Order: sequence, then C-alpha cells, then structure tokens
Amino acid sequence: MALDRISLQAHAGEFLCIVGPSGSGKSTLLRVLAGLHRQSAGDVHIQADRPGTPLTAMVFQEHALLPWRTVRDNVTFGLENRGVGRAEREARAREMLAMVGLARFAQHYPHQLSGGMKQRVGIARALANDPEVLLMDEPLAALDAQTRTIMQEELLRIWATLGKTVVYVTHSLEEALLLGDRVVLLTARPGRVSQIYPVDLGRPRALEVRASPAYGALLEKIWSRLREEVVRAMEADRGVDPEAIGG
Amino acid sequence: MRAVGRWLGERWITIGSPLTVLVLWEWASATGLLRAVFFPRPSTIAGHLRDLAMDGTLWGHAATTLVRIGWSFSLAAILGVAIGLAMGLWRRLREGLDPVFAVIYPIPSVLFLPLVSFLVPPGEIALVVTTAVTSFFLIAFTTTHGVRQIDRLVVEAARHYGARGWRLFAAVLLPGALPFIFTGLRLGLGFALIVVVAVEIVSASRGLGALLWLSWQVLKVEDMYATFFVIALLGALLSYGLAALRARLLPWVPDAGDR
Repeated sequence: MALDRISLQAHAGEFLCIVGPSGSGKSTLLRVLAGLHRQSAGDVHIQADRPGTPLTAMVFQEHALLPWRTVRDNVTFGLENRGVGRAEREARAREMLAMVGLARFAQHYPHQLSGGMKQRVGIARALANDPEVLLMDEPLAALDAQTRTIMQEELLRIWATLGKTVVYVTHSLEEALLLGDRVVLLTARPGRVSQIYPVDLGRPRALEVRASPAYGALLEKIWSRLREEVVRAMEADRGVDPEAIGG
Repeated sequence: MRAVGRWLGERWITIGSPLTVLVLWEWASATGLLRAVFFPRPSTIAGHLRDLAMDGTLWGHAATTLVRIGWSFSLAAILGVAIGLAMGLWRRLREGLDPVFAVIYPIPSVLFLPLVSFLVPPGEIALVVTTAVTSFFLIAFTTTHGVRQIDRLVVEAARHYGARGWRLFAAVLLPGALPFIFTGLRLGLGFALIVVVAVEIVSASRGLGALLWLSWQVLKVEDMYATFFVIALLGALLSYGLAALRARLLPWVPDAGDR
C-alpha cells in the first residue's frame, strides 16, 4: 500500500506543495488526482466551474513530450483530442508559448530543445488545456541547479498571472517554501498526512525570501519533522533488504 | 569550388578507400601478381561494363531484377508492417506468432523456392514470393519492436491528454514505431536484393543474378565482375535512397550519422 487515509483539500487558486521521503507515495497521490492510477478506496472531488475543460492537467517529471510533434503541436495535443478547432488551438498555443518564453520555438522538435525548455513546453501543454487543477510531479527535479532556480521564478510569475490551483510534488523543501501557500508533509510508507504547514512568507514571493529569518525558521521546523520520516523510511528499507541501505 | 573542396576534405576517406583498392588491384593484375584469368584488371572490367551497357544486355537484366525487387519488397513491406504492428499491439498475437517466426526465419530463403512453387504458380510469382520471405520477417520483427519500445511515459501522457483508440494509434503508437519501421524497411530492401540475386542464380534465365551466373559458367569473368559491380551499386543506391527518404519523412529523429 502506497497511501493510507489521505485527506486533503486544496483551495481554489492555491499553490499546494507536497513533500515527503522517497516512497511516501507523493507521485502516487498525484497520479490518483490525475486519474492515471485508480485508488483502492476513497474519492477525489474537483469542483468544475467551467464545463468542457478538463479537471486536471499534469506536468510530468520527465517532460513526456511526443518527440514526433513540434513544440506547437505538443501544446495543442490535448485540445486536438477534445475537438477544439484549428484557429483556436493555434491561438492558444501562441499565447501559452509566449507565456513560457518559447514563442520563437513553436516549429522546433523536442530533441532540439534543452531540458529546461522541454519542461517549459510541458508546462505550456498543461496550461493550454486550462484545467481546474494543475498537477506537477517534480517538474524541475531533472534540471541542473541554475536552470531550476530560473524555472522556479518563472513558475511563480506564471502562477501569479493565471491564478491556477496547483498541486505540486517535490522532494525539495526549499522549493516547496519558495513556491507554496501550504506545505503538506507525508509520512514514510504508507504515506499519510503527517502535518500541514501554512507558508506565511508573503506574496509576491521571490528568491530573496530565502534570506529572511521566517523562511529559515520554517525550513528548520519542517525539516526536523521530515528528517524523522526520512530516517524511518531508510530503516524500513533496511528491514526489508540489508543490502539496500541509502537507496 | 570551395564547397567542392570542403566536401572532398570531409569525405576523402570514403572516396579514397575504394579507389585505393581498385588501384592496387589494377597494379596486381597488370604485374601478374593476381592471375588475370580470374582477376582481370578493373580497367578491362570497366570496358566490358560499357559494352554490356551499350548493347542493352545490362539494362534488360537490371530492369527485370528491379521489377522483381519492387514486387517482393512491396509485398514484404505491406504484410510485414501490418502484422508487425498487430504483434506490437496485441500480446496474445505476439505470443502465438513469435515461436512460428523464430523457427521459419533462420531458414535460408532460397530453400523456400520449391515449397513456394507448390503453393503459388511456379515461375515469376514463386520467385517474387520467395524473395519476399526474409524481408517480411525482418520488417515484421523491427516493426513489432518499434511498437514495444515506445516510452510508456509518453503513451501515458498522451492518454492523460485525451488520446484514445484510433487517435492513440495514429498520433502516438504509429509515429513512435516509425523510426524502427524505417530501419526494418531498409534491412528488408537490402535482403530483397540479396535473395533475388540468389534465386535468379538457381532458377531464372533473366535478371542480374542469372547474368552473373551465366557469365561465370562460360568463363566470361569480366562480365561477371561487371555484373557484380552493378549489383553492389544497386544495393548502395537503394539503401541510401531509403535513408534519404527517412530523413525527409521523419524530421524529429535526431541525425545519428546514419546515412
């Protein structure tokens, strides 16, 4: 069992971050929300205000773009599947690519882009579908540190512009504090909600927030709790297989 | 002029290596190091090639072989891609056909000629079908693998964004398999040439294989080598042609220096 008795509510327009040790079922939770994974018990409710748009759109960790489609055609893929007309599709793609700063790359193929650019396309693809909830599964984990920092700022800007509800899974507590309105801490396997921390660091938020005492105090507070869970997860792994320590 | 110079600068090994072989051969045959009866000088062979081309013999045989390859390859490509896709998509079919294919595939294609002749009208049709057998297996294998190797995450993402049924096949599974299908087609086309020549040697009176064998039997060694050269050239042209077609049709595949 990956998850156990998860009860969570995201408010409209909220940026909700989920952290937890490896194997706490963070990604599974997101996949349940996306409808990619059927939970054995329990319900997911998403309030749909606008009929015709999907409930969720996912940004995958490994971008998962279609290599044989241009950047533009990747962004319009979901719209195409829903039968949205060509003119509207292309207008939406232009708008979203401009938003993520890739307007000039509409006709490129994914293999011609860097990792950060591919992930921008992934974000544009999700946003083009105008979902009720944007789901992001460690979208920056595969990027190098500098690109990740730039992308975090970009995400803050895009979120401020669109005001979407976001559920964001990350293994980086720093990232969660920089981006989130609240941080949900999951326990080690099976994942349960350990604690929910409001992030009262003000908005708009920028990288400078990391220098503030409030940030440091909150980071310390959540980390001491997360640390316990990580150690517990490692010990549990050791119990199963003595060879696989620290994996 | 500078473009030509740069082209030569990049390709000198590619151009130079066969030239070196020819020059060494010419020298060895001229000095008697190689017996000219079996290894005539390349310049002599070139003369015979010109004669064969001038009197039309070569074109007739080449056209016959090309038409046979065209039919065989088309047959193998259509059936191979269709069955390969089906095997890639449906596990049951794959499990059923895999052992059958595994047993038939390694049999040298020429051995199918008598068997095929019982099943279809002997002669031209039997020849075309026999030639298609090995190509069919190669194309079916690579196509199946092409479907199977598609990144599961990409398929999952496509489904998440609403691709189902026919749309999932046409927009995701087929394009995902296409690079492998092209590799299969290229291998299949190469083998169609190999097998058609072999089949022509054992059973035909026309075609490049027949010309080659006839030249050898009457010890017109120069004509044999000339035919050899034409077959090799034909193979290279077909292969490069398909590679160029692939580069045009599949612009998303990064160029891996595969020409």
